[in-house]
Amino acid sequence: MDVQIDWLAFVQVFFAALIAAVAVVGSYALGLRMLVRAGRAPVVAPAEFTDAITVMTDKQRAKAEKAAAKAAKRSPLTDAQKRLAFAVACAAFGFCALAVLSGLLLIVIGH
Amino acid sequence: MTIGRNASARVDGYARRTELTERAGDVRIPCGRVNECRLHGELFVRAAVRSALPPSPSPRKRTVETAALIVVLIIGLALFFDFTNGFHDTANAMATPIATGALKPKVAVLLAAGLNLVGAFLSTEVSKTISHGIVREDQISPGAFLPLIFAGLIGAITWNMLTWLLGLPSSSSHALFGGLIGATLVGIGAYAIDFGVVLSKVILPALIAPVTAGVIAFAATKLAYAMTRRYDGKPDGRDGFRWGQIFSSSLVALAHGTNDAQKTMGVITLALIMAGWQDSAHADPQLWVIFACAFTIALGTYMGGWRIIRTLGKGLTDVKPAQGFSAESSTAATILASSALGFALSTTQVASGSVIGSGLGRRGAKVRWRTVGRITIGWLLTLPAAGIVGAAAALIVAWLGPWGIAIDAVLAVIIVLLLFLRSRRDEVTAANAMSEVADSGRAVKVKRNPPPTRRQRRLERERARQEKGQR
Repeated sequence: MDVQIDWLAFVQVFFAALIAAVAVVGSYALGLRMLVRAGRAPVVAPAEFTDAITVMTDKQRAKAEKAAAKAAKRSPLTDAQKRLAFAVACAAFGFCALAVLSGLLLIVIGH
Repeated sequence: MTIGRNASARVDGYARRTELTERAGDVRIPCGRVNECRLHGELFVRAAVRSALPPSPSPRKRTVETAALIVVLIIGLALFFDFTNGFHDTANAMATPIATGALKPKVAVLLAAGLNLVGAFLSTEVSKTISHGIVREDQISPGAFLPLIFAGLIGAITWNMLTWLLGLPSSSSHALFGGLIGATLVGIGAYAIDFGVVLSKVILPALIAPVTAGVIAFAATKLAYAMTRRYDGKPDGRDGFRWGQIFSSSLVALAHGTNDAQKTMGVITLALIMAGWQDSAHADPQLWVIFACAFTIALGTYMGGWRIIRTLGKGLTDVKPAQGFSAESSTAATILASSALGFALSTTQVASGSVIGSGLGRRGAKVRWRTVGRITIGWLLTLPAAGIVGAAAALIVAWLGPWGIAIDAVLAVIIVLLLFLRSRRDEVTAANAMSEVADSGRAVKVKRNPPPTRRQRRLERERARQEKGQR
């Protein structure tokens, strides 16, 4: 029985998936980091509280939002720097979306 | 028409019975006889008797009718399998976003169903692996193989149902492969299976893909945490990963559609090729097959969602948004990259590998090897176990012929009814609503207060030194 295994295909899958995941997660994390730097730290309350989530009360959320606003106010950055950070954040999110779309396009067009 | 002879001589004459047979493919089917009796050289009786009840259709027509009936049965059973696949796997894509509170369960289920539908149209590589790779369809008689596809499907559905009832971890995809391979091995023989394709496109991806997804999820989680870590105690913005999870979980649902819906398309296409209704040189699934499978898996996903909505995400492990986002991204990336190359993966296994890998990416995480072992054994068992059930169904066909197909069909109806009754039973708990993906979250134990990073330790040391200097 002649069994030929294309090991290169497995290496291809590993690296393609690794590069795609790192690009998507990295750019999204960079976007968040820059949002925080621009003084716009996102506070996103859970849409539905499951038993896996430590319950966050409205009071706790308000406190978190207040802490984020306070941190933004005390930011040592100038307005221009903040604007730049926000622009970089937007670009990072844009790159993330582009990476996903181009990956999907590669799959649809490639085959 | 060929004529066989079975004559017996007598002293003063002879009686002769001539059997008539008609060739249909490789099989000779008796279709009647001519009786002749001569006494003293004079023809005494001569009568031609057509077998079967007149006016019976020609044997070829009958064979075609039987094949058509089996193909219809296969399509029905394959679509039912597709439905159960979606029904079972809704939680694969949606367990983590529900756990982190990124999506309301109702919205998550709707999103999963819609994107499964879209995903089914994206690629056809996996379908081609099944319809034109695993089985050497050019070396086997179509008439003999069609009932075996049917038997294989029964093996897959039976094993899926058994594991669901017993709460064992399983994979719908491997149940399907196991059933098909087991039935073909028993019904035809080892020469009908291309073990090279089975090994390189089914077995090895099954072993490698969860590990790949786990390693990638581990790296992605480390990266996500490292990039958003703050050392000054100010808000780190990691809440924002909840938004990201809406997109990443949607991608997983899309990837599920591209991989799992195609397995059913592959089986239906294989049946159509075997029945001679599709050219084997063009193994792409036909448009109506793509539509039927896409809608069925989407419907199954939506119908499976009510269990999750009912439990409102109970029984889930603690998953943080950054971790969930990384896990989903690596699941989607692994499945989509594999789908493009035609690897028929189990989405359940890949998603579970990612959840375990991303859990380990958090600080202070430890593996619960007992849970990992239990899940892994369940996975390893699926392929041979479904193979045995498929082989048993094929044996019934091999022994009893058309009656075997009828018995298998009755068994299929009983299994479908049992599944339906089981799903109607009003005992939806966290255990049966969530899949192994949610279960695999328990394979990693994360400390409530994780140990500090190297930089945090250095900062603490510096702070302690300063305090000491001030005193």
